[in-house]
Amino acid sequence: MIYLDNAATTKPDIRCLNLAEQYLIENYYNPSALYAEGYNLHKQLIKTRSDILNLIANDWDYQLVFTSCGTEADNQALFCGGKRGNVVTTAGEHSAVFNCASEFKERGIEVRVAPLNDDGKVNIQSLLGMIDDRTSLVSVIHVNNETGAINDVNGIAQAVKAINSRALFHSDGVQAFGKIPFKMSADVDLYSVSAHKINGVKGCGALIKRKNLIIKPLICGGGQENGLRSGTENVFAIKAFEYAAKSKYENIQLNYKLAQTLNAAMREKLDGQLFDIISPADASPYILSVAAKGVRGEIILHEVNDKGLIIGTGSACSSNDKKRYSRVILACGIDEERADGVLRISFSAENTVEEVEEAANILNETVKMRKEIME
Amino acid sequence: MDKVIIVRYCEIHLKGNNRGFFERIFVENMERALKGIKHEIRKQSGRYVIEGFESEQASYITDKVKNVFGVHTLSAAYKVSTSLDNIFEAVIKLAPVSGTFKIDTHRADKTFNMNSMQINAEIGGRLLEYNNNLRVDVHSPQAVIGIDLRENGTSLVFGNLINGVGGMPVGTAGKGMLLISGGIDSPVAGYMMAKRGMRIECIHFHSYPYTNMQAKEKVEELASVLAKYSCGTVLNVVKVTHIQEEIHKKCNGDFMVTLLRRFMFRIAERLANKCGSQCLITGESLGQVASQTIEGMTSSGSVVSKLPILRPLCGFDKNEIIERSRAMGAYEISIKPYEDCCTVFLPRHPVIHPKMRDVLEEEAKLDIEALISEALNSLEVIKI
Repeated sequence: MIYLDNAATTKPDIRCLNLAEQYLIENYYNPSALYAEGYNLHKQLIKTRSDILNLIANDWDYQLVFTSCGTEADNQALFCGGKRGNVVTTAGEHSAVFNCASEFKERGIEVRVAPLNDDGKVNIQSLLGMIDDRTSLVSVIHVNNETGAINDVNGIAQAVKAINSRALFHSDGVQAFGKIPFKMSADVDLYSVSAHKINGVKGCGALIKRKNLIIKPLICGGGQENGLRSGTENVFAIKAFEYAAKSKYENIQLNYKLAQTLNAAMREKLDGQLFDIISPADASPYILSVAAKGVRGEIILHEVNDKGLIIGTGSACSSNDKKRYSRVILACGIDEERADGVLRISFSAENTVEEVEEAANILNETVKMRKEIME
Repeated sequence: MDKVIIVRYCEIHLKGNNRGFFERIFVENMERALKGIKHEIRKQSGRYVIEGFESEQASYITDKVKNVFGVHTLSAAYKVSTSLDNIFEAVIKLAPVSGTFKIDTHRADKTFNMNSMQINAEIGGRLLEYNNNLRVDVHSPQAVIGIDLRENGTSLVFGNLINGVGGMPVGTAGKGMLLISGGIDSPVAGYMMAKRGMRIECIHFHSYPYTNMQAKEKVEELASVLAKYSCGTVLNVVKVTHIQEEIHKKCNGDFMVTLLRRFMFRIAERLANKCGSQCLITGESLGQVASQTIEGMTSSGSVVSKLPILRPLCGFDKNEIIERSRAMGAYEISIKPYEDCCTVFLPRHPVIHPKMRDVLEEEAKLDIEALISEALNSLEVIKI
């Protein structure tokens, strides 16, 4: 089986699991407990927070709050940061942010959605034009989960702050963390990350926040995570996350180049008569969005699945939606006919060029056959 | 004082010499619904009493049994050894805290030294003394407390009646093959036939890879809801992808649905014959969609050679069907947005009043037998 749906989730790194295993079996104590065993875990988690944080920010100005997933981190950032005036976001957000914004509307807070350019990036001019004195929060996705389009988060944050220095700036970095070389600038207040997109395990994410920024918790209780996210810590998943993140950042340049090679191989091997490339040339090399011409994406997904290839259609989280055209793909100016055929191919450093070439062959052959039947 | 549940049945009491057959199956179905729960079901002159269960299970048992077809009403009751004091103790437990009430005694034990009216007056009097907030109203009381003096020296004391689902016990009226889609109508059609005592077997058609696994899972969920009422069911899943592709390739596209339905009916009849179903059941409602006109029904029905086709929803409005779907607990599943096979290759202008001559002409372009046997080879049987 060739797995090319790494933007949905990645295979957990067995080395990280082996290292973290002791926190399931021997070191199972509650980090909030007062005896030595619990306290030791508490100390270890302090170090883990700082170690992960230092990969993209500095632990002097920023702090890290472990959450149950990237979606929870996004929810905390939005609901605890954007509470008044208006909230500005983009048409290219993941549902975790987009649907929080929809909820804001229900609650009577104005939401302003900046359009995308054809390359899938947010139209910066429009976005900045929406910000005023009453803007409480701006959220811009770092790497789009469907097209791979990369927004210049630091640059946009700086421009936002120049207009309204009190507005909070959040970015969903789930598809960027551990993949795209990046350090947070001082203008970014909040940043969400997730473990299972970088070979960690599901059920673990984090919200990185500026230390002197006071926000309320989304989940109240026993006061874990400095009172910002209560609930007994998932120590095993957190440790696996730490090991996975460190391993990703050690090889970030190497992996990035490999992803570029895989991406280029797929672009080259896919038959231009059968597929349109949707992702822009400067997108994250880990994500390649293509459209099968005249065939519904999901049909291809099933057929290639039977032939041993796993890929995605748009975002896995929205595959159940009644409106089957991806909101993000339409926002990039793609017409409905092409949007119907969109497939998302996403790579990881574990993939090989041979796998990608084989996958391209399967895709070409399948779409060709299906087109013949359906025409 | 033991908690018991009284179960009263519907039409079975109208049966003559074969009443025993209906009663036996009715009890079997109740036993099936209560599988895994400690209990005993005893017959008592034209009704059943469930007893011997842990008292905290009472509401669970009531919920299970009220959905068994054949149940007219149920009552949570107390069983006491017959004496006015014991009966009154049970009455207190069932009496409301305020409002109007009536005591309704039935005395089968004629040796008891008071008649029904006297018992009503005595127990009612005691209850009025016990609770000042209660008043008697014999014409339209807010609460009725029933007392049943049995001949065996025990009495049953019961409160308000809980309505059951009615109908006849499943298994007393043969077996039907239900054509089930992922929509609202077909599960309701199956429910209605099961309500009249019919065992149900289901057949579903899918078009993988044009439809997904979730669409099939949705049908499995719907069949499971139906199975709760129909005492289990079997879901037969048949892939008709190639049939649709062949129609698309060789025939006038406007006839897609008309021709596909003829294939579905043929396949359903063959499977029905194989598994002993005596009829086909569909969720068709006259005029609801293009294929459910009288001409559409004629076209699809004409390929079924021997079995009757039951269409229990034929005269219902959509709203009436939705109401029933909600009541049986299928609606929320039915409206999940997964496509079933009918929406793939859907023509823009489907034939609404197909003429048989045209239908046959289009169908002649296909190798019907080969396509049917190919579809039947894809059969997957799921026991629910």
